[in-house]
Amino acid sequence: MGKRKSKAKPPPKKRLGKLDTVFSCPFCNHGSSVECKIDMKNLIGEAVCRICQESYSTTVNALTEPIDIYSEWIDECERVNTLDDEA
Amino acid sequence: MYGGDDYDPSMNDEDEEITQEDAWAVISAYFEEKGLVRQQLDSFDEFIQNTMQEIVDESDDIIIRPESQHNPGRQSEFLETIYKISFGQIYLSKPMMTESDGETATLFPKAARLRNLTYSAPLYVDVTKQVMKKGHDGEEVTENPETIPKVFIGKVPIMLRSSYCTLYQNSEKDLTELGECPYDQGGYFIINGSEKVLIAQEKMSTNHVYVFKKRQPNKYAYVAEVRSMAENQNRPPSSMFVRMLSRTSSKGGSSGQYVRATLPYIKQEIPIIIVFRALGFVADKDILEHICYDFSDTQMMELLRPSLEEAFVIQNQQVALDYIGKRGSTVGVTRDKRIKYAKEILQKEMLPHVGVGEYCETKKAYYFGYIIHRLLLCALGRRPEDDRDHYGNKRLDLAGPLLGGLFRMLFRKLTRDVKAYAQKCVDNGKDVNLQFAIKAKTITSGLKYSLATGNWGQANAAGTRAGVSQVLNRLTYSSTLSHLRRLNSPIGREGKLAKPRQLHNSHWGMMCPAETPEGQACGLVKNLALMVYITVGSAANPILEFLEEWSTENFEEISPAVIPQATKIFVNGCWVGIHRNPELLVKTLRQLRRQVDVNTEVGVIRDIRLKELRLYTDYGRCSRPLFIVEKQRLLIKKKDIRALQQRESPDDGGWHDLVAKGYIEYVDTEEEETTMISMTINDLVTARLKPEEAYSETYTHCEIHPSLILGVCASIIPFPDHNQGMRHGSYDKLDDDGLAPPGTRVSGEDVIIGKTTPIAQDDTQGQTSRYTRRDHSTSLRHSESGMVDQVLLTTNADGLRFVKVRMRSVRIPQIGDKFSSRHGQKGTVGMTYTQEDMPWTVEGITPDIIVNPHAIPSRMTIGQLIECIMGKVAAHMGKEGDATPFTDVTVDNISKALHKCGYQMRGFETMYNGHTGRKLSAMIFLGPTYYQRLKHMVDDKIHSRGRGPVQILTRQPAEGRSRDGGLRFGEMERDCMIAHGAAHFLKERLFDQSDAYRVHVCQICGLIAIANLKKNSFECRGCKNKTDIVQVHIPYACKLLFQELMAMAIAPRMLTKDIKPVKNKK
Repeated sequence: MGKRKSKAKPPPKKRLGKLDTVFSCPFCNHGSSVECKIDMKNLIGEAVCRICQESYSTTVNALTEPIDIYSEWIDECERVNTLDDEA
Repeated sequence: MYGGDDYDPSMNDEDEEITQEDAWAVISAYFEEKGLVRQQLDSFDEFIQNTMQEIVDESDDIIIRPESQHNPGRQSEFLETIYKISFGQIYLSKPMMTESDGETATLFPKAARLRNLTYSAPLYVDVTKQVMKKGHDGEEVTENPETIPKVFIGKVPIMLRSSYCTLYQNSEKDLTELGECPYDQGGYFIINGSEKVLIAQEKMSTNHVYVFKKRQPNKYAYVAEVRSMAENQNRPPSSMFVRMLSRTSSKGGSSGQYVRATLPYIKQEIPIIIVFRALGFVADKDILEHICYDFSDTQMMELLRPSLEEAFVIQNQQVALDYIGKRGSTVGVTRDKRIKYAKEILQKEMLPHVGVGEYCETKKAYYFGYIIHRLLLCALGRRPEDDRDHYGNKRLDLAGPLLGGLFRMLFRKLTRDVKAYAQKCVDNGKDVNLQFAIKAKTITSGLKYSLATGNWGQANAAGTRAGVSQVLNRLTYSSTLSHLRRLNSPIGREGKLAKPRQLHNSHWGMMCPAETPEGQACGLVKNLALMVYITVGSAANPILEFLEEWSTENFEEISPAVIPQATKIFVNGCWVGIHRNPELLVKTLRQLRRQVDVNTEVGVIRDIRLKELRLYTDYGRCSRPLFIVEKQRLLIKKKDIRALQQRESPDDGGWHDLVAKGYIEYVDTEEEETTMISMTINDLVTARLKPEEAYSETYTHCEIHPSLILGVCASIIPFPDHNQGMRHGSYDKLDDDGLAPPGTRVSGEDVIIGKTTPIAQDDTQGQTSRYTRRDHSTSLRHSESGMVDQVLLTTNADGLRFVKVRMRSVRIPQIGDKFSSRHGQKGTVGMTYTQEDMPWTVEGITPDIIVNPHAIPSRMTIGQLIECIMGKVAAHMGKEGDATPFTDVTVDNISKALHKCGYQMRGFETMYNGHTGRKLSAMIFLGPTYYQRLKHMVDDKIHSRGRGPVQILTRQPAEGRSRDGGLRFGEMERDCMIAHGAAHFLKERLFDQSDAYRVHVCQICGLIAIANLKKNSFECRGCKNKTDIVQVHIPYACKLLFQELMAMAIAPRMLTKDIKPVKNKK
C-alpha cells in the first residue's frame, strides 16, 4: 500500500553557526586556507596559510581563539598598508 | 433552597454581612453587564479603538527622492523634488456592502450570512502629501501640505456585537426584527457567509527572567533566560540566555563555574564580565555592584570569582567590544568596524525592552546584572527554579492582538507598495496620485484570507500558525459559547512531556478544570472559567508618572550600594528604579486601583522575599474578580446587595458600580500568589468568631462563589438551554420558478432546485445535438427527508444570483440514536416501546428512558443520581434546585425534602409491568433527569447500496455515504470467502459481476491491440498484425494498472500461449 504523503515537516531550526576556525588568506585570498595554531605552553599563537605559506604569530591568553589571531593579523595588515600609503 | 440560611428581615443594620446566597445577586449583575464572550468583545474593541490608530501612527512617513534621471534636452528648474506622504487620523464606518451595481448600503449580519458576504466595515485614513523642492542655488521651496481626507484603505471584518457592529446595544425586539437570535452573544466574525471564531493563543510572557536548573549530566548547571520584546515591535522577541557551567563538565574542560551569556547575532557565549566591560563598566567593583549589590554576601561573591578570573585578560571597554565583535557575523573586517558592530548589537539587539536608544548602558547593565543575580540566587539554593507552567507566566493573544499583528503587517505592506508606486511615478516625472497608489485590496483580502483559512500570517510565508480561526460550532448553544471561550497552546501535539498538559494550581478560577478534549490535544486546548477577565492592556505611562511622584529613585540618582536595603520596582518586566518604602507605595497603589483612579486591570505584585514590586499593565493576563476583605469582613454589605436587587434599570448601579466602590477588585494570576483568599463567606465568619478553628486570620480577599472556577460547559449555572434547529433539507415538486416552495414535504432524491445550463452549440460535424440544455438540478440527499423551511434568493458580492434552500426535519428518537445525561453517561437507544407497554407507577407515570443500572457502579456518576432526586423535588415544589458545586446541599437534605413531598425518600417507586400489569418485585429509582441529544443519529448514518455511482478513473464504487458509496468488501472479507472454499463465488462477485473488462491482445507482442468491434477489425500497429489477436477478460483495475505501467515505459505483456518449458539438456 502506498503511504500517504504526510504533512510537510517544518524546516529545521536555524542553530547559531559555530565560530569559524579556517579563514580566507589576506595575501593569496584563498577561501579557507588559513589555520591557526595555539600553543598554550609558550603562549604563542600562529596563523598560517597553507597555500602561500604566509604566516603571522602573536601572543595569546586563555580566551584566545583562532578568530582572535586572524583578526589581529587583519589589523596588522591594515596598519602596514596605511603606513605604506603615507610613506 | 436547601440549607440556605433565610435571613431575618427584622435585622436591617447598616453593617449587616452578606451570605453566600447573596453572592448570586453579584454574579447575576456580572453576567447581565458582561455576557459570556466579554473577552472577545473587549479585545476586539481595543483593537478597533486604539491599536489600529497606533499602528498607523507608528508607521514612518514615506519620503521619496527621485532617482537621478537623465533627460536629454530638458533641464528641470529644481535640483531635486522630494515627496513626503504621511498617514493621519483613521475613520472606520459601520459594516457596509457595495452591490455590483455600485449601490452601498449598511450590511446586517443576517444578510452577510445568507448571501455569503463578509461582515466588514470600510476603513479610511487622512493622507497628507507634501512636496519639497530644492533649487540649484540651495534654496528650498516647501509647498503647503495637501491633505486628502478619508482615503479608502481597506475593509476590516467586524466582530458581531462589538461597538462597531450594527447590532451593538440593540434591544431584544430590534434584534428579533433584524433576524438575529437575542440569545446570540456575538464575539465572532462572518467571512464569506461563514461564522469564524478566533481561538485565543497562549504564549510565554516576554520580558521576564526565568531561571531553570538543568538536569545533570549537562554542560550547564543553571540557565537564566529572558525573551525581550520592546513594546509595539513587530519582530520576534530577542532572547538572552545567561548560563552557569557545571562544576565539572564531562570532557574535563572548564574547571570553574563560569557564567556566560548569549547575545543576539554573536556566535559564541560571552563571559558576563566581558559584557559588562563592553557596556563601559570596567572595574571589578563596579561590575560586582551591579550583580551582587551586597559585598558582605561572600557566598555570592565567591560564585562570581571564576568569572572574574576568566575575564582577567580583557581589561578595557575597547578590547571587550572587539572580543564581542570578533565573534559576530563579520569576519575579516578591521577593528574599528568590529567595535562599531559590537556597540550596535549591545545597543539595539540586546535586551531591547530596556531600551534601544543611546545612553541606555546604565539601565542595561543593571538589568543584565539582575539576570545574573537571579541566576546566582537559584544556584545558591536561596530561590527555587521558576515554574514554566505557572499561569502568571502565560499571556493570551485574543482577537485584538491577533488582528493587530496581522493589520500591522498588512499596513506595512500597503505603505511599501505606496512607496514603490510613488517612486515609479516620481522617476517617470509624473505626479503622485494617491488614490491609485493606495491599494485597498492588500488589507481587505489579507485580513479575509487569514480569517477564512485560519492561517495566521501571509499566505505561503513561513511562520504562519494554522487553526487560529475556526468555523463557529453551532451544534448547541452551550457548544457555541464554549467555542467562543476556547484557547489553544501552540505546543506540538506529539510532545511526550506531560507537564504543559496538566492542571496547574494557578489555573484555579482562570481555566476550567474539567473542560478539555480527550486525546492528543488534552490539556493543551483549554476553556476559560466563567468569571475570567483577560486584560486588554493599558498605557504604562500613568504608572511611571505615579511612581515618579511617589519618590521612586531611578538609576541616575542612586548608587548600587543602596539596592539591598530598597525594593526594586519593575513595570512590565522592566526595572525602572528602587523605592525605600514599598509598604506605603503598594498600599497607595491598591487604594488608587480600588478607586478606579488607576486602571483596574493593573497588576500589583509585591514580592517581599525578593524585595521586588512588579507592576503589570500589559495585555493578555488572566485575572478574575474577588470580594475585598478587610479585618476579616467583606467590604460589600447587605445593603449593597439589596440596592443591587432593587435597582430599576440594569443601567444604574450594577457590576461596574460594585467595582468602582471598591468592594470587588480584579486580581491576576501573579498577584493572586500574594493574596490570602477565603473560599466561602463562612470561612470569614469562622475567622472572626472561632479564630482557633479558622484556616487563616489574614484573609485579604474572598471568592465570589467557588463554583465560578468552572467553564461554561462544566458549570450548571441556570441558563436557558437553547438547542439549535438542524439545517437539512429539501424536496422535489418544484414551483414555477424551479424551486421547492417553503412548506413542501420532500424526501429521497427529490429535486429542490431545478436548474439547466445551455450546451454550447459549436458542433464541428454540423449536426446539432438532440439536446440544447443540460440538467444541473440540486436534489436532496437520497437518505434525507423533511420540509422546506426557507428559500432564499439573493446575489453575492459579485452580483451573481444564487439560491439557498433551508430544510428542517423532525426527529423522533429511534433505536440507535445517541443521548447523554450531563454526567457523561452516554448511550444509544436500544429499544422503543409504546407508552402502554412501559412500566408505570401508582401515579400513572411512565418513564421516557430506562437506564440499565450497570451503567452506574463502575462509572460512579453519583451526580446523576442526585440530579434525579433533586429534579424530583424541584418538579414537585415548582422551584429551582441549586446544583452548583461547593455548596452545603447534601443528599440527606434533598431526601428529606423529597420525603416531605410524600415520596420514598431515596427516590424509589413501586412500578407495574406494562405488559402484564403485575407489580415489579423490586422498587425502581425514578425521577426527572436532563438528557441531551447528541449529534450521532441513525437517520444521519443509515446507509446501504446495491449499485450506484462509480469513480470515473478506476470504475470502483464511490466512497462514503454522502456520495451513495459502496461498502468495501475488503481483504479480510475476501479471506473469509477463500477459507469457506467459495473461490468461484468470490470470482463471480468480485470479477464477473462487478469489475469485468475485456481487452484484445496482440499475440506477437502481448500488448493491447486496437479493436473496432463495430467493424470487427483488430490491429496491432507495432507488429503490423491484423490477424493474430485474442480476446482476454481481465478486471478493469488490472487494465488500468497496465496502462499506467505503459505510461511509465514499462511494457506489461499478456502472453496467452504456454511458454514451452526449456527442455533439460540431459
